[in-house]
Amino acid sequence: MPPKQILVIDDENDIQEVARLSLQLTEHWDVMSANSGAAGTLLALSEGPDAILLDVMMPDMDGPSTLRVLQQQGVQIPVIFLTAKVQPADRERFMRLGVRGIIPKPFDPLTLGQQIRAMLAWG
Amino acid sequence: MNGTCVYSIRGRLTAITMLTSAAAMLLACALLLARHIVAERGELDVQLRSFGQLIAANSEAALASNDRGQAEAALSALRATSFLAGRIYTNRGVPAATYVNGSDVAVPVHPWHADGIVRRKNGLAEIFFPIIHNGKRYGTVYIASDQEDLRDRMKSDAQSMTIIVLVSLSAAFFLSSRLQRSISGPLVELARVARLVSRNKSFSARAVHPAGDGDDEIGNLMTVFNSMLAELEQRDQKLVLYQTQLESTVEQRTAELTLANEELLAAKNAAEKAACVNAQLARQSALILNSATDGIFGVDIEGEPSFLNPAGARMLGRSLPELRGRSMHQLIHHSDASGNPLPEENCSMGLALRRGDSVTDAEDLFWRPDGTSFPVEYSATAMFDEDGNKAGAVLTFRDITDRRAIEKLKSEFVSTVSHELRTPLTSIRGALGLLSSGLLGPVAEKGQRMLEIAVANTDRLVRLINDILDLERIESGKVELTRGRIDAQSVVNQAREGLQSIADQEGIRIVVEPHAGTLWGDSDRLIQTLTNLIGNAIKFSPANTTVTLSGTAGETEFTFCVADEGRGIPEENLSSVFQRFNQVDASDSRTRGGSGLGLAICQSIVTAHGGRIWAEKNEPAGTRVQFTIPLELGESVSRPAADATMLHPATSIRHDDPAVLIVEDDSDLARVMSEALTRHGLQTLSTSSGNEALRICTEQRPSLIVLDLGLPDLDGFRVVCELRKNPAIENVPLLVYSARDVGSADQSRLRLGPTEFLTKSRGTIADFESLVLSLLAAATTRTKDEPHAA
Repeated sequence: MPPKQILVIDDENDIQEVARLSLQLTEHWDVMSANSGAAGTLLALSEGPDAILLDVMMPDMDGPSTLRVLQQQGVQIPVIFLTAKVQPADRERFMRLGVRGIIPKPFDPLTLGQQIRAMLAWG
Repeated sequence: MNGTCVYSIRGRLTAITMLTSAAAMLLACALLLARHIVAERGELDVQLRSFGQLIAANSEAALASNDRGQAEAALSALRATSFLAGRIYTNRGVPAATYVNGSDVAVPVHPWHADGIVRRKNGLAEIFFPIIHNGKRYGTVYIASDQEDLRDRMKSDAQSMTIIVLVSLSAAFFLSSRLQRSISGPLVELARVARLVSRNKSFSARAVHPAGDGDDEIGNLMTVFNSMLAELEQRDQKLVLYQTQLESTVEQRTAELTLANEELLAAKNAAEKAACVNAQLARQSALILNSATDGIFGVDIEGEPSFLNPAGARMLGRSLPELRGRSMHQLIHHSDASGNPLPEENCSMGLALRRGDSVTDAEDLFWRPDGTSFPVEYSATAMFDEDGNKAGAVLTFRDITDRRAIEKLKSEFVSTVSHELRTPLTSIRGALGLLSSGLLGPVAEKGQRMLEIAVANTDRLVRLINDILDLERIESGKVELTRGRIDAQSVVNQAREGLQSIADQEGIRIVVEPHAGTLWGDSDRLIQTLTNLIGNAIKFSPANTTVTLSGTAGETEFTFCVADEGRGIPEENLSSVFQRFNQVDASDSRTRGGSGLGLAICQSIVTAHGGRIWAEKNEPAGTRVQFTIPLELGESVSRPAADATMLHPATSIRHDDPAVLIVEDDSDLARVMSEALTRHGLQTLSTSSGNEALRICTEQRPSLIVLDLGLPDLDGFRVVCELRKNPAIENVPLLVYSARDVGSADQSRLRLGPTEFLTKSRGTIADFESLVLSLLAAATTRTKDEPHAA
């Protein structure tokens, strides 16, 4: 079975890098990354990853906008928000948008993959 | 005074006696004297006549013979007597012989008479006696006697009589003055008593009979007088008594009157004061109501507006006359923020009026006539009159636009800061985590140790940020407790399960003492509190000790207790441990990795629940932290209308409204779904467990089930399989809301009543809502068996 493909969209390159590295090292997934919602959408459409790890607070297109665009484009790739917005009201709002899960920042790089697998019901 | 008065009875009686005696004696003496005189005179007359006769007889011869010598001799017989003079006259009237006993006696020259009758003249008694012999008259004899003897004898008699009279009078006076007392004494006594009575104005004096008996008239008089006095005295005493009684009665009545008067006056003053106070209160109330910056809105028992203060009128953009006769709810409370109509029967004001209690809402929306709205905080309270009957309700509200703006700013600031701190921390934490894991290659031992320190402290910094955010939100009231019925044992068990692995690592035994109680609170927050407390207990306990969790139900509240056997907290710090960043030992925050906010958060949560939290010494060692949470007291508990009771795990449902059971292990998603359905007036029950879902279904028979397939215990297929065995449940509508698409083969295994499938990544919450509503509508139509329904 080919390794899972994960798209990380975050405007912080450092976070992109840490997330990519941890998923590669712990889960051996194929991780690609984008530093804006627009770039991420294009990548998702072209590459069709198995899951998208999406930051919420980004300039221009933020996480929810990016999600809406993806949904409008008929993309059915599960989206997980990776966000520093951890207040219950935010979480509830995000859940209404149709995300599959929310992983708060900062995350533990050693368990990030486990959390994603649990949310997406990947064995 | 006594008897000396000339007019006194005694004087008069004496005078009468004396006068009477004197008169009698004088009369007697006079008579005696007169008789004496008469007798003496007769005797003298006899002497005169006898001597005249004698001399006449002796001188007859001499005359007859004209012998003067003889005549003289006859006449000299007088010398032996006390006669004064004598003369013998011849027949012719010539003196024949004369005898004179003294010198100054005038012997008559002629015999004037010769009748032998004694005549008295000039103090002399004289007699002319004829000398007759043998019928022939020879001459006349004259004899005269003075009356000196008679007079002397009279004088001596008079003297004797005077003495007799005087002696007699003295005796009479003595006797009378003695005897008159028997009469005058009682009278004087009477008079004295009368005077005494008159002078002293007292009838107590009594007349005493001097003789000691009272048989006579005076005695009777005294007796009568005394009895009269006694009578008078008695009357007087009665009078005095009456007077005294009258006086005391008058005094009493006067006192009563005075008292009554005072009371009246006091009552009058009080009434005036009360009236004054009332007027003042009314003015004050009016002033307060008019000056209040909060809106105050009163409705009568019919729910019609009856009062609106100026601030309220200004905020609502309406005046009371415009409101009269119309429903408050329809005027200002008709829709929510999105413009969806709010049913009047759920209106808090109406609820307060109907239930007779009060409801508050920190966030709601009121509408103005121009279609604009403003955020309000309000409280609606039923009003009762003096007899305890419902009289209406009063709504006080406050425009919280400004406050909301500030709160929003603050909240934005806090979340921005939090986010901005988290972003660099994410990179740091991730980098350090990867480095220390060794996945990037081996690190020297000391470097490894440093990396672990960096990871631990990064985690601590994250916890600190989380706690600050949490505390801030709880204390600002931003976090609303989503209250529901909570089983005390269950929250303790959940908190304990979360910490069991840490406890095992530390060698701490956690003992849960059985306890039962249904609480009214936010279960997530209670678990958070218990987790904090148990975590602390573990953290500060040495290995091989026990942390004991217990609870007791009181009348209105439940007390949780977390007790450890650790080193304990010094007495003086027991109350300050709940303050922020207050750790007993300053080094704790470094070595134990706490934020210093855990207990402060616990206190905030407990306080928000209306409970108390405190720490005390545990015997024999360690600390015991206890806190109270209100018990669920059934329908009598006043519950805010806007309370999220139905948004969260609840264990019972009302049977009149449709109830939806949400079986979903993601609590955030469950909450979102629950809120969405509540907005449509549906009741919801939530559970994250398949077994629990089966239990609720058999007990409550929900109108619809929302089922997630990936559950921690039973998966969705097993749940449906079990539900199908229950005839009461097998036709209940089902919405399978799963993470992945369900294939058609699987779909047939998942059908219950009318069943729909929704994949989480595709459907939004709005899709979810419309599916639930259409399923419920279909089920209702089917149940009612109405063939022409849409």
